[in-house]
Amino acid sequence: MTSFRAFLGKEFWEIGKTWRIWVLPGIVLFLAVTGPVLARVTPQLLQALAPDTGLVIEIPDPTFRDAYLQWAKNLVQLVSFVLILIFAGVVSAERRSGTAVLVLTKPLGRAAFIVAKYLAGGAFLVGTVAAGAAVTWGLTWAVFGEAPLRPLAQATGLWLVWGLMMLGVMVFASSVVGSHAGAAGLGFGAFVLLSIASIWAPAVRYSPAGLLGAPSDIVLGRAGPLLGPTLTGLALAGISLAAAVAAFRRKEL
Amino acid sequence: MVPDRPAIELHGLTKLYGAVRALDGASLAVPSGSVFGFLGPNGAGKTTTLRILTGLARPTSGSARILGHDVASHAVRSAVGYLPDVPGFYPWMTGRELLSFVGRLFGLSGPVLRARVDALLDLAGLSGVKTRVGGYSRGMVQRLGVAQALIHAPSVLMLDEPTSALDPIGRKAVLDMIASLAGRTTVFFSTHILSDVERVCDTVAILDRGRVAAQARIGELKARYGVEKIAVEAVPTAEPLAAALAHAPWVTAIERSGGERVVLAVSDVERARREIPAAAAAHGLGLRRLESVEVSLEDVFVDLVGEG
Repeated sequence: MTSFRAFLGKEFWEIGKTWRIWVLPGIVLFLAVTGPVLARVTPQLLQALAPDTGLVIEIPDPTFRDAYLQWAKNLVQLVSFVLILIFAGVVSAERRSGTAVLVLTKPLGRAAFIVAKYLAGGAFLVGTVAAGAAVTWGLTWAVFGEAPLRPLAQATGLWLVWGLMMLGVMVFASSVVGSHAGAAGLGFGAFVLLSIASIWAPAVRYSPAGLLGAPSDIVLGRAGPLLGPTLTGLALAGISLAAAVAAFRRKEL
Repeated sequence: MVPDRPAIELHGLTKLYGAVRALDGASLAVPSGSVFGFLGPNGAGKTTTLRILTGLARPTSGSARILGHDVASHAVRSAVGYLPDVPGFYPWMTGRELLSFVGRLFGLSGPVLRARVDALLDLAGLSGVKTRVGGYSRGMVQRLGVAQALIHAPSVLMLDEPTSALDPIGRKAVLDMIASLAGRTTVFFSTHILSDVERVCDTVAILDRGRVAAQARIGELKARYGVEKIAVEAVPTAEPLAAALAHAPWVTAIERSGGERVVLAVSDVERARREIPAAAAAHGLGLRRLESVEVSLEDVFVDLVGEG
């Protein structure tokens, strides 16, 4: 347990001391800042870009929902990809650099190694996205004068279930595949498969594929039952983590 | 620690990588408290043995024990310090931060950890270095590697080719660190540099193609496997003497270095000492020198492993 705490501390320390502290928070905060502003000015931009053809484009006045929708879409489409790229080397990078040998020849078990990686990455992801959501909420209120907390919190929470599940998938992929690119490929493959599954109604209702459209649906007030996607998403995160531990235990370093 | 029990024991250790037999029934026993040289040419299986001993790889068959525990058991880790052949450290840490982190992995904290870190940075000659590990030279990395392996005062220290990539000054520094541990820690030290072994080790094993070809204290090994040699200097030339002794039953080989000197490999030293002066006198030669040549570890190594 002592070695686990020491290694978990190293994981947080490493996030703070390396490029990791800039990339994910930088992107998430950029999206959080630009989302409400873009939602506000999009109608004017479209009007300005439309040529003077005599056509009249009827665009309703933007509301807080447009800002939230922008945030929800950015999480699903952009932050998911960033997550896959950042965490593709979460285990394999330590194997390649020899630091896995450094720590695993000490009283640190391989399961503790994997679990610490997941917990630190998960806390980093949750903290970053929660901060981004808070910025989105504040700016939405500043720009639109109205920013109900509940739909934003629900949409962000649902995406975090997805994010934690994808993090589990990436930890597994990085434990199985030796290269960053290979693990990223597996992550993108999982993303594409679930995206395809999300056009089939039963999959949306009973699998993690339902988590992909859920944040936008919550913002638009048309979300269906979310218990199935949430439970299966959390289950897949747990299964991925268990599979990562099993695979890493079998690996020779 | 039980005094008579070997610190490290291998029994019929075999490791296959597909069709390649990296270890082929290797067996040895490393005495407690020894500085043990694990010698072998490149590809003999030294690193594979160390990877099995540290739990990084699993044997195909056979067993490996450290301090009486199977190497797969978690208990072994707390008693062992390990430096791999190419150590990997977090480049964003300083040497002090790395040693503190490794100490915490072993459950050290507070004043004890700080004292150990200070002492080991001093031992490694890195006390005043503020640079991050990513900016260290190869020699500094290797010395930091030995230091991190010692942070918990291990009973067994395993070093894989710790000097192979170092310049003479770096090599000396690492060897001095190893020599300073003699009698306090069992050091298991793999290398193919024979002079390093002669300098710091008291016992050696020679690994050849996955098998332990010999294991003994260095002196015993030389006595057991070394061929006795006698150097002769005769005037005006040693050539007639070499020709005369070439067919003597106690001469096994002759190395001519030209002119006055010849080196005879002999099977019976006493008979050689009696018959060489007689042969010189019979050929009208003056004997300037007649002395035993000390058997080197290199002679034993080449004899056991072969030159191919």
